Amino acid sequence: MTSLRAFTCDDLFRFNNINLDPLTETYGIPFYLQYLAHWPEYFIVAEAPGGELMGYIMGKAEGSVAREEWHGHVTALSVAPEFRRLGLAAKLMELLEEISEKKGGFFVDLFVRVSNQVAVNMYKQLGYSVYRTVLEYYSASNGEPDEDAYGKYLFYPTLNGKVLLCVPGLSLCFVYREKVKVVVV
Amino acid sequence: MAARGHVQDPNDRRLRPIYDYLDNGNNKMAIQQADKLLKKHKDLHCAKVLKAIGLQRTGKQDEAYALAQEVAALEPTDDNSLQALTILYREMHRPELVTKLYEAAVKKVPNSEEYHSHLFMAYARVGEYKKMQQAGMALYKIVPKNPYYFWSVMSLIMQSISAQDENLSKTMFLPLAERMVEKMVKEDKIEAEAEVELYYMILERLEKYQEALDVVRGKLGEKLTSELQSRENKCMAMYKKLCRWPECNALSRRLLLKNSDDWQFYITYFDSVFQLIDESWTPPLEEEQSLEGEVHYSIEQAVKFIEERITEESKSARPLRGPYLAKLELIRRLRCRGCNDEYKLGDPEELMFQYFKKFGDKPCCFTDLKVFVDLLPSSQYTKFISQLLEVIPLSAAAESEVALPADIKALQQHLCVVQLTRLLGIYHAMDKKEKLTAVRELMLRYRHGLEFGKTCLKTELQFSDYYCLLAVHLLLDLWLEEGEETAVWQCLTFLEEGLSHSPSNAQFKLLLIRIYCRLGAFEPVAELYSSLDAKHIQHDTIGYLLTRYAESLGHYAAASQSCNFALRFFHSNQKDTSEYIIQAYKYGAFEKIPEFIAFRNRLNSSLHFAQVRTERMLLDLLLEANISTSLEESIKSMSLSPEEDDIPWKDLRDNRDLTVLFNWDPKDRDISEEHRKLSLEEETVWLRIRSLTLRLVSGLPTLSHTIQPKNSEKTAENGVSSKIDTIRSLLQQLEAAVDSGKKFLEQKIQYPVLGPPPTRMAGFFSNGSCQCQTSLFYLVSDIYELDTNGLEDSAEIQERLGNSFKSLIERLTDLFNKCKGDLIEVRDGTLKTQPNLLENLVFFVETISITLWVSSYCDSVLRPFKSNLQKKKKKKKESSVAMPPVFTHFLDYVTELQTLTSNVIDHIKGLEIILTALKLEELSLKDTLLLQEEKKFTKTVQGKVQSSYHHSVQEIGELLKKRLDTIKKLKI
Repeated sequence: MTSLRAFTCDDLFRFNNINLDPLTETYGIPFYLQYLAHWPEYFIVAEAPGGELMGYIMGKAEGSVAREEWHGHVTALSVAPEFRRLGLAAKLMELLEEISEKKGGFFVDLFVRVSNQVAVNMYKQLGYSVYRTVLEYYSASNGEPDEDAYGKYLFYPTLNGKVLLCVPGLSLCFVYREKVKVVVV
Repeated sequence: MAARGHVQDPNDRRLRPIYDYLDNGNNKMAIQQADKLLKKHKDLHCAKVLKAIGLQRTGKQDEAYALAQEVAALEPTDDNSLQALTILYREMHRPELVTKLYEAAVKKVPNSEEYHSHLFMAYARVGEYKKMQQAGMALYKIVPKNPYYFWSVMSLIMQSISAQDENLSKTMFLPLAERMVEKMVKEDKIEAEAEVELYYMILERLEKYQEALDVVRGKLGEKLTSELQSRENKCMAMYKKLCRWPECNALSRRLLLKNSDDWQFYITYFDSVFQLIDESWTPPLEEEQSLEGEVHYSIEQAVKFIEERITEESKSARPLRGPYLAKLELIRRLRCRGCNDEYKLGDPEELMFQYFKKFGDKPCCFTDLKVFVDLLPSSQYTKFISQLLEVIPLSAAAESEVALPADIKALQQHLCVVQLTRLLGIYHAMDKKEKLTAVRELMLRYRHGLEFGKTCLKTELQFSDYYCLLAVHLLLDLWLEEGEETAVWQCLTFLEEGLSHSPSNAQFKLLLIRIYCRLGAFEPVAELYSSLDAKHIQHDTIGYLLTRYAESLGHYAAASQSCNFALRFFHSNQKDTSEYIIQAYKYGAFEKIPEFIAFRNRLNSSLHFAQVRTERMLLDLLLEANISTSLEESIKSMSLSPEEDDIPWKDLRDNRDLTVLFNWDPKDRDISEEHRKLSLEEETVWLRIRSLTLRLVSGLPTLSHTIQPKNSEKTAENGVSSKIDTIRSLLQQLEAAVDSGKKFLEQKIQYPVLGPPPTRMAGFFSNGSCQCQTSLFYLVSDIYELDTNGLEDSAEIQERLGNSFKSLIERLTDLFNKCKGDLIEVRDGTLKTQPNLLENLVFFVETISITLWVSSYCDSVLRPFKSNLQKKKKKKKESSVAMPPVFTHFLDYVTELQTLTSNVIDHIKGLEIILTALKLEELSLKDTLLLQEEKKFTKTVQGKVQSSYHHSVQEIGELLKKRLDTIKKLKI
């Protein structure tokens, strides 16, 4: 039981119950505004009948269309503790995938900390598979993901869905519904 | 610009090293390199600008500005210079200069798409909407691209939003915008979704709802595909505006058929059904029922529809809460209308019971049912709870023992019932003994539940954490309502215990923060808060938890730091938001532009922002003025002036998140809208008092040194007399603010424990600081009078001053008396604290500081008088020149001030000794039931409180010692 709608600036004043979670990052204002200005449709919030915010997903579209690497990316997905175990995260993922598909995305990818076992398992259940491990994705000192960190790793062709070695302390890149033809080089 | 191909511009090559130095933060080398380059190539303007950037970044703003203006005067048209100047102006916070720059550039190169678009963005950064409109059209004329045209249209909407005159906005700006879009529609030139969105925005603002609906439903509407149900949502909004209830109903019905879990559509479905019933609507015979298909217009249909959703739900793979909650919502609405039709739907108590059976193991079951508990008659509460308890599989090892859950599911269900028990007020109705038993049971359940979470990671919560929180809430009731002193220590003990098992539980931390603060112990709070990792916007929403207490408990360093964090966030906001307003234009996210602007305003007019701004300056003065720098210099460095008031009093926004702490209290005890309103009122009055105090203090240096005593006639015309007028008028305003503060406090408002923390205002009045501080500012006025009048014929003023000094000392002594007593002591086997003594001490130090600033003004007035007299005395060589009484008064006063301050310092030393000597280990706690584990945590929390008090007392004492040193300088 949820109302799903576009995330707005005013929600930033009310999302503490979601964001006071050790694995959910509170970004600087510019970061949110950038997403709202550029990819507003990829930023969705769920609201409970009592008015509490339950969770949100924040994502974007990126990659080269010509190289068939245009895809949706999930930047943040978080559900408040009291609204977990309702399948809300799955629902939000489904919506983002739908939007990404509409926008012509070839696949959806995301990063998750290897240590975040709950999330890792959830994404696996949703049909995602580990694409590569990425060094130090979350290491940027200002607390915001270092945008350069994944640019280097992401688009190397690999065998579809092949799980690479997981090393604790690193982050995983998950890919879903890959339409790209896999080229082994 | 001609294509350069691969040939690099030699200037680019020459400038490259300077850019590199700047990028690497090596500003000195950048300046040197630029100088070197300029020797060879005098006309390489860009090098000058880059040098200016280097200067700006090394703190030489004036030089940087002069250099930049030199280049700007030449009206450069090369990319390098323009871009560099843009960067420089942005760093100087002078975005308006960028507009001048590009205005000149487009004049010289009128066909440059690039410069025109830079000009547009430069206007956007400073919000020059009219000029944006023109710049957009100019762009479109050069390059007929749609986005440029629509930038211009959007600028019209912005003009309409910012227009003070609503009429002008509705009759001029918006119609013009509408015509501009219509023109494109007629010419079939609409290309993008954003353009349709914009069209819709215009029509909606013009209240042309039918036209807006036609656009959305028509061919143009087909472009609305990006956002979730974008077309449906827009149609729904218009149907509502047009009161087209049949369509509202049919559309929500259709959306619910697609997703029977979306709450917003149930709401519109019910709203519309009842509207239709009230209108006695009947479907037309011939045509379709509505544009959106089948319509429900009777209770019977609604009941059937909801029942069908429930039947459908049973077939779905994942249980959906929506249909069940919708049924309860329908019952509620029927009851509100006094209908007796609900028998068809069943008894709410039974339905809630069924809901619990189905969803009781979900953590949100409580939140869901909370919305509907008012459907239960209060006589049924206990029965309802027992009914729920009966279906939970619990088992007890022995008859006499507590029955416990065997798995997480059962635990979750039981937890839901416990939360409901609190919500229904059953715990509140218990007597002390029953409450204590309940606490014991909850803690037992909490500890038992930990076994289910043994494999939980540090980042996860324990399943049974809420038991601990609920136990603490019960203990808080005992502490605050029944005055049970031991209860508060138990609260802290249990929470610390909970935190040790569930180190990332934010609720434990928040509650600990609130309780420690209430006990006057700030030291543990800083660490807890930092472990919450609150940042950015959270400085505004929950920063109050820190800033309310840090200074008032004498943790000055921590107070400074927390104000700084918050201020850094607020100051960056202005720059940050402009950047994204521009991006929104670029990406055509037009509806976000007014949203971003409203957001920026909301942050700029934040109550918390105004508070930290004011408190930060007061704190700086308190810590530094006349200690490390003179009051005058301190005020100058803050660019403070008594005339200036930068607080948007009428538009103050309360952005505090007052529900960040969970609570399960019944509605009549919960935080209400009324509490929020009252708290904002209280905060505003207190802020007014603080801000006026700051402005009054900032007026002190403007009075001294400038006086020519004999020219009293003339001074009426020059600036000084207007300064005293400012002070006197501020003093009047302060009196008025104090009055409204007193009136507010007369209401004796009690916020819920976890609701908004009360301000320091009550203490300010009751300990006498208020009287001291206002009388000090009156004293200023009298001293000024003596100053302008001169010593002759001033017996009356002198006497008045003498009396003021005396009564001031009396008042300060009273204030000191309010600081006496034991901060912490062991009485009847329990630890008692008096945190208000700490707050009073802090007020004392603040008041003494203001006293000293005023006294040093007085000193600066009396000193010249005295030296004049002494000169006279020498000349006349007589001993008969009598010293005017005011000198004796002042000297006596300063001596007494010194004695008093020394006494307070001695008192503080005494407190320190007591705090160090207090052996908490020896404390034999009355509650012998304590477990070994609990004893450990009790010791920890008591130690933390003790150490925090010690810290407070030390910081306060040190500051006061510094103040004492300044008194010695006052002996004229």
